[in-house]
Amino acid sequence: MIKWLIQKSRIKSPWLLHYDCSSCNGCDIEILACLTPVYDIERFGIINVGNPMHADILLVTGTVNHRNKKVLLNLFDQMPDPKVVAAIGSCALSGGIFRQAYNVVGGVDKVIPVDVYVPGCPAKPEAIIDGVVLGLQKFSQKREEEKSRAGRSDLRQF
Amino acid sequence: MHMVEAMPTVELISTLLIILPFLAAIACYLIRGSGIRSIVVLTTGGVLITSAVLLIALTPFSLSPQPFRGVSIHVMVQTLDFLLLLIVMYFGFKNRHNAIKGLAFFQIIFLLYFEFFLFKDKQDTSTLYCDHLTLVMVLIVSIVGALICFQAIPYMKSHEEHLRLKKTRQDRFFFVMMLFLGAMNGLVLSNDMLIFYFFFELTTLCSFLLIAHDGTKQALKSAVRALWMNSLGGAAFIVALVGIYRETGTLELQRIILSGDIGAGVFLLSLALLCFAAFIKSAQFPFQSWLLGAMVAPTPVSALLHSSTMVNVGVYLVLRLAPAINGTFLSQCVALFGAFTFLSAAALAVGQSNGKKVLAYSTISNLGLIFACAGLNTPESIVAGMLLLVFHPIIKALLFLCVGAIEQHIASRDIEDMRGLYADMPLTALMTVMGVIMMIMPPFGILLGKWMAIEAAARNLYVIIMVALGSALTVMYWARWAGTLMSDPFAGRFKPERQPFLTWEALGSLCAGAGLLSTAAPWLYTHMIVPTLSRAYPPPYTTQNGILENPYGVFAVFPLSLVAALGFVVAIWAVKKAARARVVRPYLSGVQTAESGVFTGPMNQLVKAEARNYYLSSIFGEKKLTTWINLGAGVLLTLMVGGTL
Amino acid sequence: MIDSAVFILIGLAVGPLLGGLVSGLDRILTARLQSRIGPPLWQPFYDVIKLWSKEKTAVNVWQAFCVYCYVAATSIALVLFFLRSDLLLILFIQAVGAVFLAVGALSSTSPFSQVGAHRELLQILSYEPLLILVTIGVFLETGSFKIERIYNWNEPLLMKLPFLFVVLGYTLLIKLRKSPFDLSTSHHAHQELVKGLLTDYSGSFLALTEIGHWYEVVLLLGLCSLFWATNWIGMIVIVVMTYLIEVLIDNVSARLNWRWMLGYVWAMGLTLSMVNLIWLYTS
Repeated sequence: MIKWLIQKSRIKSPWLLHYDCSSCNGCDIEILACLTPVYDIERFGIINVGNPMHADILLVTGTVNHRNKKVLLNLFDQMPDPKVVAAIGSCALSGGIFRQAYNVVGGVDKVIPVDVYVPGCPAKPEAIIDGVVLGLQKFSQKREEEKSRAGRSDLRQF
Repeated sequence: MHMVEAMPTVELISTLLIILPFLAAIACYLIRGSGIRSIVVLTTGGVLITSAVLLIALTPFSLSPQPFRGVSIHVMVQTLDFLLLLIVMYFGFKNRHNAIKGLAFFQIIFLLYFEFFLFKDKQDTSTLYCDHLTLVMVLIVSIVGALICFQAIPYMKSHEEHLRLKKTRQDRFFFVMMLFLGAMNGLVLSNDMLIFYFFFELTTLCSFLLIAHDGTKQALKSAVRALWMNSLGGAAFIVALVGIYRETGTLELQRIILSGDIGAGVFLLSLALLCFAAFIKSAQFPFQSWLLGAMVAPTPVSALLHSSTMVNVGVYLVLRLAPAINGTFLSQCVALFGAFTFLSAAALAVGQSNGKKVLAYSTISNLGLIFACAGLNTPESIVAGMLLLVFHPIIKALLFLCVGAIEQHIASRDIEDMRGLYADMPLTALMTVMGVIMMIMPPFGILLGKWMAIEAAARNLYVIIMVALGSALTVMYWARWAGTLMSDPFAGRFKPERQPFLTWEALGSLCAGAGLLSTAAPWLYTHMIVPTLSRAYPPPYTTQNGILENPYGVFAVFPLSLVAALGFVVAIWAVKKAARARVVRPYLSGVQTAESGVFTGPMNQLVKAEARNYYLSSIFGEKKLTTWINLGAGVLLTLMVGGTL
Repeated sequence: MIDSAVFILIGLAVGPLLGGLVSGLDRILTARLQSRIGPPLWQPFYDVIKLWSKEKTAVNVWQAFCVYCYVAATSIALVLFFLRSDLLLILFIQAVGAVFLAVGALSSTSPFSQVGAHRELLQILSYEPLLILVTIGVFLETGSFKIERIYNWNEPLLMKLPFLFVVLGYTLLIKLRKSPFDLSTSHHAHQELVKGLLTDYSGSFLALTEIGHWYEVVLLLGLCSLFWATNWIGMIVIVVMTYLIEVLIDNVSARLNWRWMLGYVWAMGLTLSMVNLIWLYTS
């Protein structure tokens, strides 16, 4: 009963943290468009909190480079478990058209584990919403195995 | 009222309370070894505490000591009085300060006039009088004073080590401290205004000597300022004394209070001058600069004189005189002035970052509130004033001693330097936070007093607005300090720091004592406050099941204390659970590093995130605001004194 | 004795339930005013349960102490309200909670928390004197601080204390964390200083701050209801109207700075209070 309640609450109340690695802002505008009255994702209980300590879902856009991989890792570690990472847009998936640039590390999954990949350049709001909903299903199922990560320090060495 | 005849035990206790400290002072001065001196101080403190507690059973009483070897007490005190004024004049010459010389001379002239032209010695005056108000003051002076002197022993040792003094000055220090304790006891026990005046002046002198103790130029300057301002108070006092004697023909405080001679004229003017002297003694505006300057003294001095006892003399005097000025314009003015001080001092404290100055302004503020309570002159407000009179010294002494210990550790008294003190000195930081909590939160005594004061002041428009504003400002500067102390990277195991035993003993007793006394507030009300009241005011509250109640207000002291204790236990349990939580660094936009508060900045350089408190100096800055406040206070004082004519 | 126990339980339970519902209604209303649909009514409860089920992370242990004290204080204040105790005492106890929240935020070294905490202290500075003056006004009219007497007053207090009700409205705006006074942290969907004073709280501690906030909201709405306590319909109407106006003001105004807030709230609040109090004195 309690477990059912917790699962339901997790599905019904996902809080986002949106981090733009070094995006052209195309995907970011599409994400913000989801918050507007046209798509209104607040009706799913989604709030864009700017703070990793309050967030459940991390939406990452843009290419990861040598500078912002540390920030990405810091933010990911500051989020309490259970958490879901969604990589939005081609650049976040694999580096996009900037893949061969000398400073680009590649996709987000080179730094942190990704749960949902949302393709597009930029990704459409409908796709983003679909991706978040898919992520929510995973989120509600994440259980005790996530808790085993507690206790380690919040920074990894590079 | 049932008066106890002069029993031997009463005389013994009075002697112990007043005379013993004088003897101990001389002993402290003459003894060379610090170990033996400490024993003298400890013993005297112990005897004082015991005597004060024994006094509880003997109250109320009235005592006229017999002439000692044919010389009446009056003559002895008069001689000592002249001697004292000559000493003050000597210091005036030594420091080349004209105001001190002038005021001392003025007082000598007035005293001579009084002694030889006015005074007619009557045989049936009661010299000492102890009712429950006096008892409460004696308890505070003896217990809190003794604890502070105990803590002073390791403090002064460490203080002199810091200053690398070759020759110890602790003999002078403890001489004056012991002298002061005796003077305070004598002051609150005396019924004869002239003896009151003598001890009043003696406390001024002690304050001067203690402020100047370190001998630096700054200390001497502050001491001289304290001396001339308090001498002004003394001058007002002696003029008032002459006026009162001419109008009533008696110097007995109790008779004066009950005198029906109220109305415009010399008597009321004299009472106004007494209030004026009380205001100066309690460092109200515009005479607050002596108290602020006195913060250069070693911390036990600040704790003892300038927060717990000497500044309480003023409020004690006005609370005593409250029945005499009931219903007069003077009383209204006192209430207005007190509320004004409460507000202004709180505003000035908001703009301060120096810890001791914050404490000083807070003291002035709370004393202003007590004056306002006395001026409002209703049963509820008098009870409120007395409650504040009891609780404020204990908690303020605790805070001053904590700040002293902190200052010796970090060599600074600025609140900004105390940021994150919990990491270094957990137990002291916690005790300071406890002290702050007891100053502003229910169910503790100060808030009980404030609650009563607000309910009592409700019908007085100007007073209530000032008290409401001041109350909010008070919360601001205390909460800011408490938060700064606890500003900490993740706190692991609680490991108390090392301090001398006497320090812990003093801090712990004051902290625990304040907490327990707050819970026992209804008992305090019934047994200590109501007996003082019933002469002039009907007891306003009923206490049933530890709940203070009157027809229009209720404060459930005991149940709330229980609930608060329960909440505290739950919160501690939560802390224990949280200790097993995963540590995360505070949010720094993702660029934080493993070290708390340090982030990766431009060019990959490490930058320390600095935070400073809001001191709002553009609004509450000391320099700008003080001028206006002094002006306002001056206007109110002129109104008060002039309005009696 | 028994009915006291019942009232205590009602107080402890009603706070979160009613507060959560009010919070949910708030979000739906705000969304509709912004041409959106908004979350379901039970959304705040989902939020709190989800937060509670998160991993326990903390910046330091002192935060845990402060959060529990905050919830304890606000819940005790609400329970005392149900027990019809002294209004002034209830205000002071509620202030304990607010102070602990600020002190807990000051204990984190991040600048967001620090600035948020100082702004919170400034907010407390702005509304607390006014709240005391409102209580004094109620006392002058009804002759008592006890809620029992105030509830049984035979005339709606709004008649004699209209300006003091407006002042209470200012206080409510600040406490509900609505524009233009949402400086220290803003309510749900908005961000100010990231999350201002609540930035470094997470998981179950954040859930507790939310629950504490609900208790506060119910307490303040209860205070509003005192102004038309003669019949049930009056109470509901006044509470609903006040809350609607608060939400409307929130949606039409922008967030301003602390200097403006302190100056405006004190100037308007003190003037309105003084006028109303003088009316009460002279009548």
